[in-house]
Amino acid sequence: MRASFVFSEVATGLRRNVTMTVAMILTTAISLGLLGGGLLVVRTIDRMQLEYYQRVETVVYLSADLSANDPGCTSSTCSALRGQLESSPGVQSVIFESRQAAFARFQRIFQGQPELLQLARPEALPASLRVQLSDPSRFPDIAKAFSGRPGVDRVTDQGEYLRQLFRALDGLRNATFVIALIQALAALLLISNTVQLSAFTRRTEVGIMRLTGASRWYTQLPFLLEALFAGAAGGLLAIVGLVVGKVAFVDRVLAGVFEAAIVPRLGYDDIFSVAPILLLVGAVVAALTGYLTLRLYVRT
Amino acid sequence: MTIEVEKGEFAFLIGPSGSGKSTLLRLLLREEVPSKGDVYVADLNVSKLSQRRIPQLRQRVGCVFQDFRLLGNKTVSENVAFALEVIGKPRHTIRKVVPEVLDLVGLGGKADRLPHELSGGEQQRVAIARAFVNRPLVLLADEPTGNLDRDISHEIMLLLERINRTGTTVLMATHDHAIVDSMRRRVVELHLGQVVRDESRGVYGVGR
Repeated sequence: MRASFVFSEVATGLRRNVTMTVAMILTTAISLGLLGGGLLVVRTIDRMQLEYYQRVETVVYLSADLSANDPGCTSSTCSALRGQLESSPGVQSVIFESRQAAFARFQRIFQGQPELLQLARPEALPASLRVQLSDPSRFPDIAKAFSGRPGVDRVTDQGEYLRQLFRALDGLRNATFVIALIQALAALLLISNTVQLSAFTRRTEVGIMRLTGASRWYTQLPFLLEALFAGAAGGLLAIVGLVVGKVAFVDRVLAGVFEAAIVPRLGYDDIFSVAPILLLVGAVVAALTGYLTLRLYVRT
Repeated sequence: MTIEVEKGEFAFLIGPSGSGKSTLLRLLLREEVPSKGDVYVADLNVSKLSQRRIPQLRQRVGCVFQDFRLLGNKTVSENVAFALEVIGKPRHTIRKVVPEVLDLVGLGGKADRLPHELSGGEQQRVAIARAFVNRPLVLLADEPTGNLDRDISHEIMLLLERINRTGTTVLMATHDHAIVDSMRRRVVELHLGQVVRDESRGVYGVGR
């Protein structure tokens, strides 16, 4: 089998249906671009989760009585709570924060707003045991075990806010994937259609090839390669789109967010680690679609 | 019905339209599969051939049609080379063999023409060159002179005879009385799918 011959056939086929080829490449590119976007969102979320959950604390606020009278956590009630927390599974460390320390932190946080600081009194702030969990999912156990115990006011979990945030991000990711999937369906139908069209416009040639003894594989390889080419071209275009999207949109709009390290920065290495997946998915899915189309619809 | 054509023989298939001439040729090419019975080409059982092995059959059987079936966007030599390219012959072989065959069919000077620049007779010569270029065992011709006038038809027949003399079996379906009568070769007449006559040195028919 001669490569130059097959490739000239592929080029002819793509040129002949140029509008379909362009449509096929563009839909594939959009679909793969969305898939890539979704994958990048997943990567970002994973990294955020790792970072955020390391920073969050579960806080056991102590009762007003303990807060006022036990500045060093030396009373039997407080030290018992502390000991039990430390020995609970999934707990990494427990730090006692007295009312004074809480007030000092409050002052630090709100130093930009003096009128708020003037209003505040240390008495308004409870002392607390701040618990660092090695496994954030253990929070419900801790909450159940310590809520309502003598000396405990309430147990709060900063992770709860994070979970809400991540639920929203998960929604964003899922929406991206759903749109990518719908686009992918359109891309598949277009590829299938183009392959059929290609095979139809060249049915005389294929008929003659078959009569002169060319194998089915040989006559259909050009059509298959056309689909493969479209898939790979779509993948490349999608990668270019992601890079452009990063430079023109993400970097500019989210600059402040990146600066504050609220969201981990999206790097080129992220895009390039997603790129081979897009190329591979594009090429393999397109070739598979082409193959099935030829098997099911084109009998020569 | 049973028909046997020996290696190297030249035989006509005649009969009215719908008598089964073309169907017989299509069976030999495995373009159709018989509902019963067997078809052999050399030692290949065509009717039991697997899809995958059909190309093997067709590389040993050349075929020519009334409507030439040339590729309009390829030159004469490209059309002939095509038959070798699709079966994966190396380029240097193609470059050597194609001009030889074009000389054989008398088109040596027209290698770079496109089919529409040629007369009907010349186009049929190209088709014959393409069918013959990889030296098939059998050449099947389905009314090859159907679109050609008398003189040109005669030239085409001379060409087929020449090919037959190289040892290639030729089986030709035709309606052309004059040709069959002048050649005096084996004639197999079909009617409604049955063999009604099989003569070794026949004419088209009595009383026509």
